Amino acid sequence: MATKNNHIQFSSLFRPTEVICQTDQTDRDTLLKDLLELLAYQRGIGNVDEAYLAVLQRENEMATIVAPGIAMPHARLEAIKQIIVGMATSKNGIVYDKNQPDKPVKLIILTLAPKDAPGAYLQAISSLANICKDPTTADIVANLPTPEKIWSFFKQGGLVLPDHLCARDVMEPSEAQLQEHDTLERAIDLFVHYRLNELPVVDKDGELIGVVTTYELLRVCLPDYILWMEDLTPIMNFEPFAEILRKESKTWLTEIMTGDYAVVEDSAPAIQVAKEITRQKANRAYVVRGKKFMGVVSLEKLLNKILRE
Amino acid sequence: MALPYIKKETIYTAGRVGILLGVSGLVGLLGYSFGLDRQQIISCSIFIMIIMATLLFWKLRLAIAFVGIGALMGANVLTLPTFIRECKLDVILFLVGMMVTVGVLKELGLFTWIIQQVIALKGITGPKFVIIIVFLGAFMACAVDEVTSIVFVATLIFQVCDTLKVRPVPFIIIAVMGTNIGSSGTMLGNPVGILIGQNATPPLSFMDFLHWSFPIMLVTLSISLVLLMWWFRRDIALLSQRLEARREVGLGLGPLVQVPYKRGLAVLLGMILFIALHHHLETKLGLAPNTVLIVAPLVIAGLLMLWRHERSRHYIEADVEWWTLLFFMMLFAVAGTLEETRVTQRIADSFQQAFGNRLSILTPIVIGSSAIGSAFVDNIVFVAAFMPVVEKLQQTPLLWALLQGTCLGGNITMIGSTANIVALGMLEKRYRTHIHFIEWLKVGLIVGILSCLIAWGGIALLSPYMPTVKQRQMHRQVLPDQKHEQPNIIEKVSTE
Repeated sequence: MATKNNHIQFSSLFRPTEVICQTDQTDRDTLLKDLLELLAYQRGIGNVDEAYLAVLQRENEMATIVAPGIAMPHARLEAIKQIIVGMATSKNGIVYDKNQPDKPVKLIILTLAPKDAPGAYLQAISSLANICKDPTTADIVANLPTPEKIWSFFKQGGLVLPDHLCARDVMEPSEAQLQEHDTLERAIDLFVHYRLNELPVVDKDGELIGVVTTYELLRVCLPDYILWMEDLTPIMNFEPFAEILRKESKTWLTEIMTGDYAVVEDSAPAIQVAKEITRQKANRAYVVRGKKFMGVVSLEKLLNKILRE
Repeated sequence: MALPYIKKETIYTAGRVGILLGVSGLVGLLGYSFGLDRQQIISCSIFIMIIMATLLFWKLRLAIAFVGIGALMGANVLTLPTFIRECKLDVILFLVGMMVTVGVLKELGLFTWIIQQVIALKGITGPKFVIIIVFLGAFMACAVDEVTSIVFVATLIFQVCDTLKVRPVPFIIIAVMGTNIGSSGTMLGNPVGILIGQNATPPLSFMDFLHWSFPIMLVTLSISLVLLMWWFRRDIALLSQRLEARREVGLGLGPLVQVPYKRGLAVLLGMILFIALHHHLETKLGLAPNTVLIVAPLVIAGLLMLWRHERSRHYIEADVEWWTLLFFMMLFAVAGTLEETRVTQRIADSFQQAFGNRLSILTPIVIGSSAIGSAFVDNIVFVAAFMPVVEKLQQTPLLWALLQGTCLGGNITMIGSTANIVALGMLEKRYRTHIHFIEWLKVGLIVGILSCLIAWGGIALLSPYMPTVKQRQMHRQVLPDQKHEQPNIIEKVSTE
């Protein structure tokens, strides 16, 4: 079945009348409420209080500051049938995250997506990826004097919503990674420190060469021939682990590294990530460009992004 | 999108069903043209149908065997008493006892200890490792059975190859071939051993196997080992390099723990001794031939289950391969109808007409045909059908030729024996890789031909010293006309 190309312009998701330009409001929550009321008046978004609570709940859990000076709060609502965007700018900036008072936000892009549109929010973020890379974007937009000019800025930017999400849209940087010359000792340290079950291993060029998992580590300590025994007395005090401990600094990672893991190209559709995770019965997929390691998608984060964000 | 896939699968299945029924029908027509009667035609067709089912519908073979038995009974070719007699409960019970005992030995840590002994060896090299896996596989097959043996040897290979990051495929092929050759060494090595031994008239004893088959097995194994070491010399050299590198940094091949192995070893040695002495015990106690042989594993299994009573249900439910044993029973019963309807007599007559009674001709013919047959169908299927034919030829060396041919023929293809299929399954599950049919066939054919030639030579050399059927009958004190009164313990029990 051929993929239908929609080529939805980001500027088509909002109108100048849905922009609060250079607000004097300094309280984040009040500004979000104002923005929602504006959208309710212009478009109809159902119960404003419910939408407000939904947006606030997410922001309180984790503020969605996606680039310097830019926040993208969002919510999924049953009452709407298409993506609706509202914007607010502040010349002086407002304290968006109490934990980061020194990082004021000057551009707020509020995205409301239909409840049954998985990934709509991520598509919106993805379309803004290029302008978010520029650290001056927030200042430029905040200094635009009228809503029309702000709308034109996005119109002229030619920002288009992608037809589908890619692996890179749902990936995150890896919390930790191992080098091919690392020893088992370092792997165990990282497993314990980051509370992870698996770690990618890269070579000197940053290319992904394998994965080390806690399960494989356990299997090295308890190979099949030891598991055959019903009587646990010989291993009651973790005797097989003693040898690993004695030799962990001499044992190269490559000994327990597996080449059997879920991997996807960063340009592959995000659904490919879900497919690979399911096929490999894995908890995470590794995203590469060619062979270069780019990031990781955990099953938990993927479900959150697709089904909740 | 799913529709074309379903259609393709349906067409593929329909094609296989067509081949199954077509070949079965063709055999029936051939039988008709050779003047077989109605009952003989039906029994031949259904037997071939079950053979084809093992080739085309491996997972459904038991279901097809059940249906086949029903068809034979419905056509009045097989009666219920004949079914009960022919399904060879003696062989099945022997295998049940062995499977339970092996399950207990595994839990007692005996096999863990054996593997650890290899892993802990100082100064091990690639060639030494290959010699160990070949002889370990062969002798463990002799002591327990080929499938149990290959499971443990494959685990050892995976442990070493995983640690050294070496491709396990060559070593799996080597170990499987060693195990298959070793399985011809004793009566316990392969289900075909017990089937041949128990169905020979008079039955063969454990010591008969040690006298006549074990020496041939040792020679075949040694020469095949040399060939395999040459064939896989590059992989063995790589293994040596990796072992040396690992030894230099003071690392072992896996964790080692203190295993209380002595109880397990005592059980294994006790069982082998019990079985080895079965003929003497039967003579002393005045029992029917092979009574002790069949009962020994059952008694030992029973004692072990009494000792470890909290696990006894587990041993019966998890360690006994009921699926395989039920298939064997159905297969034996269907093969029994070939004998009952005198099809095997006709084949034996044809054999005699074509090749006469000369051993020099019959021995290679039996070895060759059973090797080729076993290369493509389960060797027990082949023996079930061919054993009555060999029996009718009334020549002791041909029993050993049948045993050697079916065991050694299993090496020719990757589907030639149960050990091959089990090892390949383990390989596929662990590494998600498989061996190509041709990759196996290239070495399998050479090893198969060479080992069959050695076996032929061995049998030819030993046959002048082998007892004739009459001498065996005198030795066993069973006269030919007593055969139907006391052929094996099952019939004796059912008569009583």
